[in-house]
This record gives sequence, C-alpha cells and structure tokens, in this order.
Amino acid sequence: MKLIVKRKKNPENIFVNIFSLSVTMGIAFLIVIVLILFLSKDPAKTIRYFFIGPFLNRYYFGNMLNSAIPLIFTGLGIAIAFKASTFNLGGEGQVYSGALAATAVCLALPEANGFIGGSLAILAAIGVGAVLAGLSGLFKMKWGTDELISSFLISGAVVLIVNYFITGPMDDPANNLLTTREIAKQYRFMQIFPPSKLDISIFFAVLTAFLVFFFMFYTHWGYEMRMCGLNREFSRYGGIKVKFYLVLPMILSGSFQGLAGAVSVMGTYHMSVKGFSFGMGWNGIAVALIARNNPLAVIPAAIFFAYIEAGASAAMIHSDVTFEIAAIVESIIYFLITAQALKDFIRYRKRRTE
Amino acid sequence: MEGISKYFPENRVQANRNVNLVVKKNEIHAIVGENGAGKSTLMKILYGLERPDKGRIVLNGKQVSIHSPMDANRLGIGMVHQHFRLIREFTVAENVVLGIEPKKNGLFFNRDKSVRDVRSVIEKYGFNINSESRVADLTVGQMQQVEIVKMLYRKADLLILDEPTSVLTEQEINRLFDNIRELKNQGKTFIIITHKLDEVKEISDRVTVMRRGEVVAVKETENVDQKELAKLMVGKSVLFKLKKDPVSPGAVVLELKNVSLKLKRQERPLLDRIDLKVRAGEIVGVAGVGGNGLGELEDVVTGLFKVSEGEIFYKGENITGLPASKFREKELGYVPADRLNRGSCLDSTVRENMIITRHHDFLKAGVFNQKKISVFVNNLFKSYSITGDTSVPIGTLSGGNIQKVILARELATNAELIIFSEPTWGLDVASGEFVYENILKLRKNGIAVLLISSNLDEIMNLADRIVVMYRGRITGRFTNDKSISKALIGEYMMGVRNDFN
Amino acid sequence: MNESGYYFPVIHNAVGIMTPFLLAAIGGLFTELTGMLNIALEGLMLIGAFFSVIFAASTGSLFLGVLFGIVITMFIALIFGLISLYLKADIFISGLATNLLASGLTVVLAFKIFGNKGVILFKNLPELPSLNIPFLQKIPMFGDIFIGHNIFVYLSWLIVIIAAVVIYKTPFGMRLRGTGYNPRAITALGLKPRNYQLAAILISGFTCGIAGAVLTLNLGAFVPNITSGRGWIALVAIYLGNKNPFGIVIASFVFGFSESFSNYAQGATKIPADFILAFPYIITVVAMIGYSVWKYYKENRKVF
Repeated sequence: MKLIVKRKKNPENIFVNIFSLSVTMGIAFLIVIVLILFLSKDPAKTIRYFFIGPFLNRYYFGNMLNSAIPLIFTGLGIAIAFKASTFNLGGEGQVYSGALAATAVCLALPEANGFIGGSLAILAAIGVGAVLAGLSGLFKMKWGTDELISSFLISGAVVLIVNYFITGPMDDPANNLLTTREIAKQYRFMQIFPPSKLDISIFFAVLTAFLVFFFMFYTHWGYEMRMCGLNREFSRYGGIKVKFYLVLPMILSGSFQGLAGAVSVMGTYHMSVKGFSFGMGWNGIAVALIARNNPLAVIPAAIFFAYIEAGASAAMIHSDVTFEIAAIVESIIYFLITAQALKDFIRYRKRRTE
Repeated sequence: MEGISKYFPENRVQANRNVNLVVKKNEIHAIVGENGAGKSTLMKILYGLERPDKGRIVLNGKQVSIHSPMDANRLGIGMVHQHFRLIREFTVAENVVLGIEPKKNGLFFNRDKSVRDVRSVIEKYGFNINSESRVADLTVGQMQQVEIVKMLYRKADLLILDEPTSVLTEQEINRLFDNIRELKNQGKTFIIITHKLDEVKEISDRVTVMRRGEVVAVKETENVDQKELAKLMVGKSVLFKLKKDPVSPGAVVLELKNVSLKLKRQERPLLDRIDLKVRAGEIVGVAGVGGNGLGELEDVVTGLFKVSEGEIFYKGENITGLPASKFREKELGYVPADRLNRGSCLDSTVRENMIITRHHDFLKAGVFNQKKISVFVNNLFKSYSITGDTSVPIGTLSGGNIQKVILARELATNAELIIFSEPTWGLDVASGEFVYENILKLRKNGIAVLLISSNLDEIMNLADRIVVMYRGRITGRFTNDKSISKALIGEYMMGVRNDFN
Repeated sequence: MNESGYYFPVIHNAVGIMTPFLLAAIGGLFTELTGMLNIALEGLMLIGAFFSVIFAASTGSLFLGVLFGIVITMFIALIFGLISLYLKADIFISGLATNLLASGLTVVLAFKIFGNKGVILFKNLPELPSLNIPFLQKIPMFGDIFIGHNIFVYLSWLIVIIAAVVIYKTPFGMRLRGTGYNPRAITALGLKPRNYQLAAILISGFTCGIAGAVLTLNLGAFVPNITSGRGWIALVAIYLGNKNPFGIVIASFVFGFSESFSNYAQGATKIPADFILAFPYIITVVAMIGYSVWKYYKENRKVF
C-alpha cells in the first residue's frame, strides 16, 4: 500500500508559527462572518453571540472549558504519535472503548472506594486504548503493516462493538435511551464551576500536558522518540532501537485517547451514551495540528476548538443559525493550516520584511 | 554547449564553471571526472532537467533552448539516468511508449501496435529483451536496455548515458558496448559519463576530462593512455604539511573475513569477499571511485547493513549480524559520508545532535541532566572551535561546522575504532585540514582508524596502509611509503591494474 | 419463494445496497492509483447526496438533480484537489477538512433552507425508475442479481466498465497508474504527475456525486450525515478489492451483503447486528495484516 501522507518536519520558529496561525484564524473568522451575513436574518446578533457567547455567563464559559478537557487528552495523544512520525487514526474507537471500559469498571464495583475504584476505571480505559493502538504499532514493527489504515479499521470495528455493549448487555433497562446505567456517585469528579459541568479534571488535563511536555523534551524516551520521528536513519546511526519507537508512541497515543474517554464518563456524562464521544478522536487530530504537536500548545488549541463550538452553540440558542457552522470554521482552519505553500509564503514575506 | 555555468545555492556548490563541450556527430564522446566534478549536472542541463545560470546550447548549428525533457526529446536528445526511471509494474512496451502512446480509434491505447513498434526497435538495434515482459522481472542490464530503447523509440539521435556500467556485470557491460557500437554504425551519437578509464579507452572516440566543475582537457581517445587520463582526473598532488609520527600498530581491533554483500535481482555483488584488518594506532585507507563498494563497506562495518556472507570481528569478538545499536554499544565512532541525513538530524538542535551517540551518559532515572549536557556541549564547542548557538537547528549551520559537530561528537566517545567516510567531501581547505589534524591525533593516541575515501590525496596523506577497491573487490593492498605513487594507486582505482584477478 | 418475489431477497437487497459503496470506491480507485489516499470520499458523497436531492425536488427532474449534484460535488473536489496539490497541503489533513466541511455545510444549508436539521422529507420527488421484468426475476440468482433494481444500480455497473476501460485501455489510464507507481518516471518523460492526480480527484468527485444521489433519491429524504461512514468503507473496499475495478465490485458486494444480511439477521438470528457490521472491518484488518506478512517474508524487507 502506498501512502503519500507526508511525514512532515515542523519549522520550529515560534514567531512564524504564531504569525501564520493568526493569519489562518483571521481568514477563518472572516469567512465565518461572511457566512453568517448570508445565513442569518439578524447577522449582528448572530455574530455577537458567536464571538462572545461563550463568555456571557458562568454556564457557557464553564461548559466551554469542560468540552476542552477531552480534546486536550486526545490532542496530546495525537501529538505524541505525530512527533514520532507514526499515525494513529483510531482515536474515535479508542476514546469510545476507553469510556466503555471506565463505565464497566465503575458499574462492576458499585460499592468500592471512590479513589481505588476510580483509579481502576481510569487504568482500564488507558489499557484498552493502549492495546488497541499498540496493536497497530506492533503490526507495523513486525511486518510493516501501515499503522494509519490498520488503526482506523480496528477503530471502525471497535466503535460498532462498543455500540453493541451500550445498547445490548449494558443497556439501562430503566430508560428508553441508548445508554448504560449511571456510575455510582463516588466515581464522579467534583464539579468546580456550577452551574456548568466543568469538573476538576481540567487541572488533571493541564498537568498531563506539562508532563507530556517534560516527557518529550527532557527524558530519555522522549528524546529518542523525537529523534526517530525526525530522522530514522540518523537515529539508527546513533544507536537508537528505532523499531521500538514504532510501538511506544502508538501505545502512549492510545492511552491518552482512552483517558479522554474515561474523563468524559467520570466528569461529564456519568454513563456511556451511544455515540457520545464521536468527533473527539478526529478533533484531537485538529488540535494537535494547530498546536504543531507541542504538548503545551495543545492546551490553548483545545480551548480554541472548544471556543468555536461553544460560540456556535450560543449563536444557535440565541439566534437563527445552526451549530454545524462550527464544523465549517473548523474545516477552513484545517485547510489553511495544512496548506504548506501558504506557510512558506508567509515565512518568505516575513523574511523579506525583516 | 558553450560557457555553461551552474550554481546550487542550497548546498553552495558551483557545479559547472564556464564549461564548453563539443560533441561531433556520430561519435562516442566520454566525459570523465571524479565524483562531484560536475558531469551529471552538465548533462541534466542538456536534457532540460536543470536550467543553466549562463551559457547556451547549440545543436546542429542552431541555438536551442531546452526547458524540459520533452523539448530535449523533440530535438532528438535522449538520456538514460544512472538510476532508472522505469515503472516496474509495466511491461517493456508500456514503459517505452508511455507519454507518446500509439492510439486506436483516437481514444484507446493501442497495445498491439506498441508491442509491434517496440519489438521492431529492439530488433533493429539488436537488443535482447522481450517487449511484453514485465520490467520487474528483468535483470538490471535488461532494464538499462529498456531505457535505451525508450529513447530510441523517441527518435533520439544523441544519447546521453549517465554512468551506464556502474551496476552491470562484465558480460552485461560487453553486451552494452556491443549495442552502443551497433547504434553508432546506424548513425547515433553518444555522450557517456563515466569514471572507468578502461571503458573510456574501449568504447569512446574522444574524451573530455572534468574536474571541480571545469573542463581540464579534451583528447582524442587514441592519443591518450589511461595513465595520463588518471592523472588529469585526479589533478596534481596536494600534499599538506602534516606531521606524522612513525607508526607502531598494536592489536587488531577490526577484522573483516570474507565479507560479501548482495542485493536481490542484482547479479553483481556490491561487496565481494572483502578481507580487511585494522590495528590500534594505525590508519587504514580504503581508496576507490564512487560506486565501487566504498559506501557499502561503510554500511557493513557500522552494522547498518547486514552482510550476506562473511564475518566481522571487533577486538576478537564476532559481531556479525548484530543490530546497529549493539555496534554502538561497543564504543565505535563513526563519521559518515552522508552527514546531512545520517550524520545529523537537520531539524533538531545542535545540542540534541551532539548527544545522540552518548545520550545515555546524561541520564538519571530516565531524565536528562541538562547541566551536564551543557557542560559537555560547551566543552566540545570550545575544543573544536565551533561557533554558533547550541539551541538552533543544526541545519542552519554551514557544512564545515556541521562536520565539526559530527566529528566532535564521534571523537568524544571512548571509541577504540573510528570509521571515517569521505570526511572532507565538500569542505573548504581550512575545515579539511582541521579534520586531518584530528585524525592524526587519534592515531597518536592509539586508536584504530578506518578511512574510507574517494579522495586519493586524503588517503595518500593520512593512511599507513592503503587498500584499493574496484567493483566491490579489493584489487590492491599497499603500505604507504615512498615506493608507491599517486598515479599507481589511481590505476588500481580505475581498474587498470588488479592484483587479485 | 416469498412475498418479495425473489428467491434470495438478501442477495437482491445487497445488490441495491452496494451501489453507493461501489460508486465511491471506483472513484477512489482513480485517486488511489495515482498514489493518493483519498479520505474525502465520505464528504464528497455527502455533498452529492444533499445537493442532488435538493435540486431534484426543486426542478422536479431526477436528471437535473443528479447533474447539479455532480457539478457541485466536483466543484468541492476541485477545491480539495487544488489545495492538496497546488498549495501543497497534506492530502490526508485536507481530506479530513473536506469531510468536515461537507457535514457542516449540508446541515447549515438544510437549516437555512428548511429551518430544520433533522430528517428532511421530499414528498413530490419523482420516483426512481427501475427495471421490472416479473418473469425474469423468478429465475434464481439471475433474477435476484440482475432484475428489479433502480436505474442507479445499472448506471453503476456501466461506470465500473467504463472505469476499467479508462484505467487499462487508454493512454490516460496508463499515465495515471504510472503516476502512482513511480512519479519520477513520469516526470522524466516531461509529464506532470500533479495533472493526473487532479484529474483523478475530479473523477472521484464525479462518482461520489452519483453515489450520494443514490442514497437520498432512493430514500426520498435527506438525513444529516446520511453517508454514515460509507466513504470510509469504500476506501477499504479499494484495498480489499486489490485496487482492481472488478475486485472492488466483489468487495462492495461483501459490504452490501453484510448490511443487507444484518437487516435480515436482526430479526432472524441471534448475532447482534453491530457484530455483523463490524465483520467487514475485522476481515479487512486481518486481510491487510496477512498481506503484509506475506510480503514481508517474500521480500524479507527490513523495516526500520
């Protein structure tokens, strides 16, 4: 199988990055304004809600930050894989199955101590994600099976199987919705910003981003992993076991996806709902992309993503456009961010003006 | 071609400087020169793959401008690249006609006609390939025939062959030369790029010698012998004033026993039964022209490539087949020829590049001791007088400084064996001398040095013993003393002499 | 024999269900052959689904509806192609962007036009013509497979044949395949690989436009994200079909059959439908791994 996904090296100049990112955002927002002018009967109001809606009250603001939490985890997971030039396209399945694993552990131990049982639930979620993604890494190492497609396919199957568990054996007989039963009270994360759903795991997410940053840039494995990602030939020359770094990043990547599922369940939903995590895996790719795979930049990138979605939903509630306008903005950002030529152009212009 | 100049800003190389090349109709014209003499660039300009900065091309008395291979084809110029540009999954006929396919009903590909046409070209010029076989199933020699047929099908009258014999066996070479002579009889003109002088003598009518981007001589092949050509190619000896203490070799550090390297589908082995010993405190120089197995030898002794046959010993221990990381654990220093891809990671910082070989030393519980790294890096910067910021990507440094970083890093290991491959290629004189001084310092400290180089001056200046490789075999072994001359070694390098055949 | 009049209604339905897979996969085959992983099939299909049903409903003509649907899908494909090839975007990311754009744009427009982002029913949509020859459909297998389908099914077969001819029998097809196998060989001949890649993307836009139209015109309604992963499955069908038009027909049938069977099995067997739906993915992963193991031992290649 031939893939031309370019395993690209990032230019590390932070000023160029921020500058090109601002240009990208500017163009994206400009397009959104034009779109709203075209779509809305009261564009001024819609635009106002789109841009400042998320800051209007505690509820909106808190929920925006809350929806950034899983995106931080999935974004970190993807950033790790990308940094090592491996690809994990199975985020959707890994998040979803991680959520189910956490739910299952919590439901199986209704009476256990919150900390012990909760830790077990999180570990189970991490384990499931790690195994699913790690398999793709293993196949790549052993026989060169492309991890990009295999992780996607495995995830595709896993999503359906998780659907089965949520709607079948684990379905809550007490309601007609396609959900599991609720997890016990002691497993739910503390909410810190009522009435919004924002819970304590946001600190956990930020801390994790710092830990990943530390891991990447200050530890043995992080160094070897990055070197392999940048130049496998050089790494092999330097005595690094490059094969190992086809597997490790995938395992880590999957772990973070699973973790995203667990915090969604234990912090926000308190159960698994059919399809509730859809999009988290894909959005993780976008977050990592905007953050240029820098773990610390993942935090603002995830919040930015959550902001667009929160703005769109505020505009939907208070005005006459629909939430999916967020998807259009996001897609435009995707397009602009990946257009290498545009970046080169900006860099060139910048050099000229310096 | 008149007054052609070409400069590559990316790697700061003046590939051609005011080059004049005259090729007469229906002659076989050889262009010879060492690696990097600018032969290939000149031909790429002629074929429309590169644009010259200056100069003009005159064909049959008319000035022409060639912007793409299509233009070149239209003017009757065809080129066979050293690395074939074939689609392995297609048949011979499909490869040949691709781009100017015969059509059926104005719309469909006419397979029958293309097979017929290609077969008639093959028969007309006496090639031995079947127009319907898949290219992937052919031998390397046959693939080359496909490339030539491809150009003939495009009605090329002037054929450029870039290093045509480098991957062929003796029989295949004879076959190729027969084909070339036959084509010449039928009115074709050839430009053949090579650095094998016996072949020049055998096939060409006239020869142009290039060195460092310039033409140094144009001769009738009859009136020149191989020794003279070799001398023209390598130029005058440049002897540095290097202080060499008398050699006192110690125990054998590295030993290769009967090492061979073969690739699939290539009949000729890349390394052919190599025996080699390197002792502590001596410099063994491996000389040869590019494409004769020097790069492969480098890959094999560093563990990056597994040998097909034979054994490698390091201080008496058999290390054959161990992965590259284990070679490194044996404390082996290695300055590779490919310093931009293998020797450094251009997108990563100088600091990170500097610690790759011994990053384990700076770890404490899996975490790097940044202070220790800084001390280490700063010390090396000072002692190797490298200038620049350690936190910038190494790709932003000059070629000379990159090589210094690599050198500093590799010599900082406690290695008992250091392998250098083309250590001064592309460097300015000062950086080159710096490298030489360091190599001699190693020898003085009792380190075993294996110096692989196609730069004969370098070998003659540094090595205690010289081994010459030609077509994957060792063809000569010498002790570097007054009894040998550069011309003599040159003859072995060009395959004029061979002690072991 | 049963009330539907076919011997094997499961097979008959499978042939109908496979059509969108088949069309999208055939378009994707062109991009795959030029060496690009086209994950935008899903989004392109969705665009086609939305616009063809809207135009069909507003013009009252199926033909015009499909035509407009194709034109707009090809336009989106053009944007996708230009960004990927000429602005040097990573085709994988721009493919994701195309999918996201499609799902956003269709819902936003549906909401703007119909004030509704759920299921949109089109009542006065002309009915799809289908081929009904009652006495032939009673022939076992033959009737199940060949008779009684709507016009799109037959159109898709025609497209497969045309695609096979274009790919294997024309100079264009040869250059297209050459681009995927070895772009340097194409460049050395003075041809431009990018042109062939763009053409392939436009072709995939064309077939995906029809594939989408099949979904909505059959249903007489638009449902947000009606494609629900069919573009991805089509991508898998390309690999499972060994990048060959007729192999893709078989692979698409496998997917069509598993969907048709799961519709049937939901009532008739105890195997949960989700497992049955997951089956094609699992089969494909296993096949993919098997293929690379085989290749690994055949070439004994070194994986760094």
